[in-house]
Amino acid sequence: MISRRRESLATRVFRAGLLWFPPRIRRAHGDEMVAMFETQWAKAGARGWPARLWLALRATSDLVTNGTAARFAALGSRKLGRPAKSVHAMGGRGTMGMHDVVLTIRRLARARLFVMVTLTTLTIGLGMFAVVYTAVDKVLLEPMPYPHAGDLYYVWRDYGPIRDQPRGALPGTDVLDLQAAGGVIEHVVALQAFLGGVFSSGGDEEAMEISAVVTSPGLFELLGVEPQLGRVFGPDDAGPGRPFTMVLTHELWTRLGADPGMVGREVSLNGRPHTIIGVLPREFDFVRADFNNPPQRADAYTNLRVNLTDPSPNLADYSVLMRVSRGTAPEAVAAAVEAVGRGVDERDFEGRGLRLYAAGLKADLVDEVRPALLVVGAAGVVLALMLLVNLASVLLARAAQREHEFAVSRAMGASRSATARGPLLEGVLLGLAGGAMGAIAGIWGTRTLVSLMPSDFPRREAILLDWSVGIAVVVVGGLLGALAAMAPARWATRTALPSLLASSSVRGGGGHGRMRRGMVVAQVALSLVLLNSGALVVMSLQRLLSADPGFRPEGVLTILVRTPPVFIPNAQVVEFQNRVAGAFATVPGVTRVSAAAALPLTEATTFEPTSIELPEAPGNTGDPARDAVLTDVIGVRAGYFEVMGMRLVAGRTFGESEAAAPEAVIDEAFAERFFPGVDPVGQALFRRPTAEGETRADRGPTVVGVVQQARIYDAHQDGRPQLYMRITNQFFQRPLYYVIATEGDPETLVPALRAALRGVDPRVAMGEPRTMEDIVASALLEERAGAVLLAAFGFGAVLLVIMGVFGVVAGSVTRRHHELAVRLTVGANPRQALGLIVRETVWLVGIGIAIGIPGIYAASGLLRGALIGVSPSDPFIVALVAVKLALATLATGYFAARRVLEIDPARVLQAG
Amino acid sequence: VPDAQYQLPLNPRVFAILVALLEGPAHGYRIRQEVDERSQGTITLDPGSLYRTIAKLLDDGILEEVDAPNHEASDDPRRRYYAVTAFGRELAAAEAARLRTLLSRAALRAAR
Repeated sequence: MISRRRESLATRVFRAGLLWFPPRIRRAHGDEMVAMFETQWAKAGARGWPARLWLALRATSDLVTNGTAARFAALGSRKLGRPAKSVHAMGGRGTMGMHDVVLTIRRLARARLFVMVTLTTLTIGLGMFAVVYTAVDKVLLEPMPYPHAGDLYYVWRDYGPIRDQPRGALPGTDVLDLQAAGGVIEHVVALQAFLGGVFSSGGDEEAMEISAVVTSPGLFELLGVEPQLGRVFGPDDAGPGRPFTMVLTHELWTRLGADPGMVGREVSLNGRPHTIIGVLPREFDFVRADFNNPPQRADAYTNLRVNLTDPSPNLADYSVLMRVSRGTAPEAVAAAVEAVGRGVDERDFEGRGLRLYAAGLKADLVDEVRPALLVVGAAGVVLALMLLVNLASVLLARAAQREHEFAVSRAMGASRSATARGPLLEGVLLGLAGGAMGAIAGIWGTRTLVSLMPSDFPRREAILLDWSVGIAVVVVGGLLGALAAMAPARWATRTALPSLLASSSVRGGGGHGRMRRGMVVAQVALSLVLLNSGALVVMSLQRLLSADPGFRPEGVLTILVRTPPVFIPNAQVVEFQNRVAGAFATVPGVTRVSAAAALPLTEATTFEPTSIELPEAPGNTGDPARDAVLTDVIGVRAGYFEVMGMRLVAGRTFGESEAAAPEAVIDEAFAERFFPGVDPVGQALFRRPTAEGETRADRGPTVVGVVQQARIYDAHQDGRPQLYMRITNQFFQRPLYYVIATEGDPETLVPALRAALRGVDPRVAMGEPRTMEDIVASALLEERAGAVLLAAFGFGAVLLVIMGVFGVVAGSVTRRHHELAVRLTVGANPRQALGLIVRETVWLVGIGIAIGIPGIYAASGLLRGALIGVSPSDPFIVALVAVKLALATLATGYFAARRVLEIDPARVLQAG
Repeated sequence: VPDAQYQLPLNPRVFAILVALLEGPAHGYRIRQEVDERSQGTITLDPGSLYRTIAKLLDDGILEEVDAPNHEASDDPRRRYYAVTAFGRELAAAEAARLRTLLSRAALRAAR
């Protein structure tokens, strides 16, 4: 070996590419190839970088093609047990290894129909596989786009001993404790949603609504991101009285015109002047996890201007993000956080056992979708298995047609490996081509999938079919092809001339028939599992769709209108809201306008759920901890229940004019909890005194009615009890979602509504208008996407199994042609002959189903997490699916077997 | 001795390499330059394809490795020199004859 000089990066990459060549050639000529490449590289360098790029591309393709070809040649020679040498005796071998490939391609080109059918199947199957692989890989497997993302954790509090809230936010004092803890905890930042981000960049531009996150300093350092322009928050930006500062995301900066001079400029957020201090790079992407609302993706970040020691420990609203020492074990992180939590529990909660816990950044984000994705992923694997069996079966059938050719070439001295290479190469080539086409189909498929997904689906933006996935799919295709070709290749080497010469009637009667029958059994079993999973997920979706969410979404448009305190002081809020509602009501096409602080199925309330305690309620247990019930308190305007079509169970709703005493409407869950067996209408709701000096005389509102719950979180089950408070000057909430009952298409009214709002106050931005029907649809998108995918898989599985059964039965008829002809001649009637074939199908399908049923029970554990209101191993559904599958396959078998009736005994026997 | 006729027609790339080496032994990069020039750029030999072919031709006894000619004081010790064997010569001649026949037939038909 010649001593190596220090090599450039390009040379090292090239040398690595040489690994693709068989060792023999690499050892003999590797250094020469490198030397030649170096000369080329140096010459290309003189012509500039495009020449180098071109050379790099060419060198890659050169190494891949020739390395592959050389490896194929080497493979053959190793099996032959002598050095690579042209085998001139065999017509099928030329002077080059590539020749085999060319021959195989030519042979495939002649069987155009076979190739078309096989490639279509592979394209669809591998395309689906690509989509699923992408989703699972990007959402569950790929690390978050931050350096050492595994060391990032959120910290939450389990409020279990006090109220039913296992994932609650932390107060500032806890943040300080965590920051002071030291040990493995390196950096801790507090994040808070900035409510009501009405943004204006000054000048005449219309105000727009943005989503902003308030953060203590250190967030960007913790996530390992440098600003593209300007700076990020430093220690001087934090604390009371500091000037308002803002860091823009690249996206918002672009939307504002991508002006590099924007840093240092003053903008307005909720009417307060903020100075832009920096712009984040384009690739930065971050989602703030929330304790109560869906994760929030921000357009901008602002500085935390409060003193973390100030708020009381009961007023908690920080999401806490921390980075631990490189590579700390999760157990050590958990222990460190628990230790801080114990201290806080002693100090602030009299040791009632409220714990703090850490959740990995990624796990925290994707936990909710993990079960559904795992099911889809598993279905993808099963589908790939079915493809494998199907391909093997098709290749076997094709090899059987060439039996004669194989036998002759074996007899003329072709080695076993030379005979096996044909079917193997066919399999690999078909698999690779199918993989490539599948990857292309997958690009389109992932786009469709992403468009089907809800916009807040975790890591949705990451679901893109990239090069690594594409290559993985092509490789999977090639592997499938190679595996599938094993059976026919093995079979081809076993063919022997004597078996062909002995008698035409037993032709092909050997191994391949048994193999193909085994494959049909496997296909039936696998497709039963897939079909059952698909049926269950579709049923589950149907349950969800038919679930009564407690309101009627038809024709209702919703608009969020922010009312920042800087523009509208507390004393004027209700008056302002009246004016907005009045303006909306004048738009032609609007039939009624109302508003609420939280909308059904948005999983979000603008107000934190509150622990409500009614000391005089009959439903109390006497245990103060359990009598405080976490409740969604929702402020609404008159007419809300009517616009939303909610069902009144008892009493009345709010009247148009405000009553003298405060009024409330409760939902059935609230009534059930506090007033079991008692008529709640007319009861006074006394809430725990919140202010100093409040007395029992300050009665809460009186219950005027009970409604069915309009579900906020899940479509299929009630959430927390709901308390609807009429919005008055004494009790108001902001911002409000205006709900607008319309005639005709609600979307057409948007411009007029926008103009109406501008007429009330041009400083106020209108949020994105959404119809209630949209909201309902997007709440179910995830389930719908899963159901569509699995149904498609099930459909694909049925197609594959039908193709398989048809092939085997038709093949069986062909193979037994002679035998059947004899039977027909000696007096069997055609029906009996038909029965003979059909009976075989019944057996195959029966065995397949018998094997598949335990498979269903094995899959049920995985499915459970993804199903709602359906048992994963419902015997009724299993039976239904099994019967349908049996009918479909038997019908296919019957049609294939009918070819028996076309047998003309005289002609067959004459020819034989 | 393998029969030259059996390996015809030659892959154009193989033929080009043989023709390039008929003038005398050369190293890989020289072969590449020769072929590039003679074929006016229609045949390009990148390292992978060139050495895969060379390996194959060495195996089949069409090429052999030789010492560097005296007049070429090699600047790169990694360079090795190749020459055409007697069989290789025979093969190249056979291919040339085949091509000549082909061309003369084509010329005859075109003239008619």
